[in-house]
Amino acid sequence: MTEYIATFYSHYGAVCFKKNCEKLGIGTKIMPVPRNLSSSCGTCVRFWMEQEFSEAALELNEELEQIVQVEGDSYRALYRSEE
Amino acid sequence: MKNEKKAIVAAGLVIGVISALLVFFGNPVNMGFCIACFLRDTAGALGFHSAPVVQYIRPEIIGLVLGACIMAMVSGEFKARGGSAPVTRFILAVFVMIGCLMFLGCPFRMILRLAGGDGNAIFGFVGFALGIFAGVFFLKRGYTLKRSYKMPALEGQLFPVLQIVFLILLVAAPAFIHFSTEGPGSLHASIWIALAAGLIVGGLAQKTRLCMVGGIRDAVLFREWKLLMGFVAIFASALVMNLILGAVTGTPFFNPGFAGQPVAHTDGLWNALGMFLAGFGCVLLGGCPLRQLVLSGEGNTDSAVTVIGLMVGAAVAHNFGLASSGEGPTSNGKIAVIIGIAVVTVIAFMNSRKKAD
Repeated sequence: MTEYIATFYSHYGAVCFKKNCEKLGIGTKIMPVPRNLSSSCGTCVRFWMEQEFSEAALELNEELEQIVQVEGDSYRALYRSEE
Repeated sequence: MKNEKKAIVAAGLVIGVISALLVFFGNPVNMGFCIACFLRDTAGALGFHSAPVVQYIRPEIIGLVLGACIMAMVSGEFKARGGSAPVTRFILAVFVMIGCLMFLGCPFRMILRLAGGDGNAIFGFVGFALGIFAGVFFLKRGYTLKRSYKMPALEGQLFPVLQIVFLILLVAAPAFIHFSTEGPGSLHASIWIALAAGLIVGGLAQKTRLCMVGGIRDAVLFREWKLLMGFVAIFASALVMNLILGAVTGTPFFNPGFAGQPVAHTDGLWNALGMFLAGFGCVLLGGCPLRQLVLSGEGNTDSAVTVIGLMVGAAVAHNFGLASSGEGPTSNGKIAVIIGIAVVTVIAFMNSRKKAD
């Protein structure tokens, strides 16, 4: 099981993403963004997937900022929205 | 995660000590820091309002923005961003300031007032917490001011540069800048001590994301207590420092009670309603006035607009007789707070999508 974190521009975006993940059977936890990931104090969704990450496997919304893979204490960037 | 918690508590302890020391060095009692009061004083110094007792360019504000800016640049976190409903944020900020000046302090000063024994701040705290609950209610119903976008670097740098201009005006003290000769505006630590305090607190607040609103919001939304512990740490260390300073100097820095508290009034209902408005508005803005200053230092132009809104709100509050005094709230102020709560509720409702969960 691989662990990922998605960050958002709004709390609403995080809630929508969480609901979509749950519909897809993906385990999630909604929480504040970890400080070592961002200086923003918004909401993120931590989620776990069996298969490799792919954008097509998730329903991404316009409030999504980035998705990273958790690798111990560090993160590997997988997706970032257009600025 | 544990390190994050320790860092927040350590920063809170340091900030509490600095806040108490600023009073020792000359700031008004229980006003080591007050973002609302200091923005109001700066607005007055620039002539945006003409209340003669609250006019002074506060170096703490300059330091907070520049400290956060330097810390963000050093850690590669300075990013010019903006475009997330700036006019809505401006209006919210105006009413947040009106709420703060009903209570006579921002959330930061509310903690410092509690640490100084001011019982009136308990009513403020209750109202503030209820205001945050109201904001969270709308967050859960899909409230959003939509995303921000990348801006040219210069756009994010302008607000920190403006602080340097304010510092030059403070030091040069030209005739067109107003300086109070009596009242709270005349009480201040020396420029360089206040600036250093602001720089340190700004840097620490950027590093730890300390936010008076975020603490309660995260506790309610996620049962996450980290930010709230920073809040508690500020209270504890300011309280201990007040007791130590009182013992060492023979001047009481901790005066428990309700009547006769410095720059405060005893009307519990309006203390609570003022901070209700402030807490509610700050959740919709995404952070307390301190956090807005820090974000503006990180290049967030939406927060810079918010800070400008806070300054305009201060000017409006004094020009229209909305700000309270030690005598109590004014009739105009009560009407403005009720209008503010109505406006903030409408903004929250209009920017909420269908029920999110």
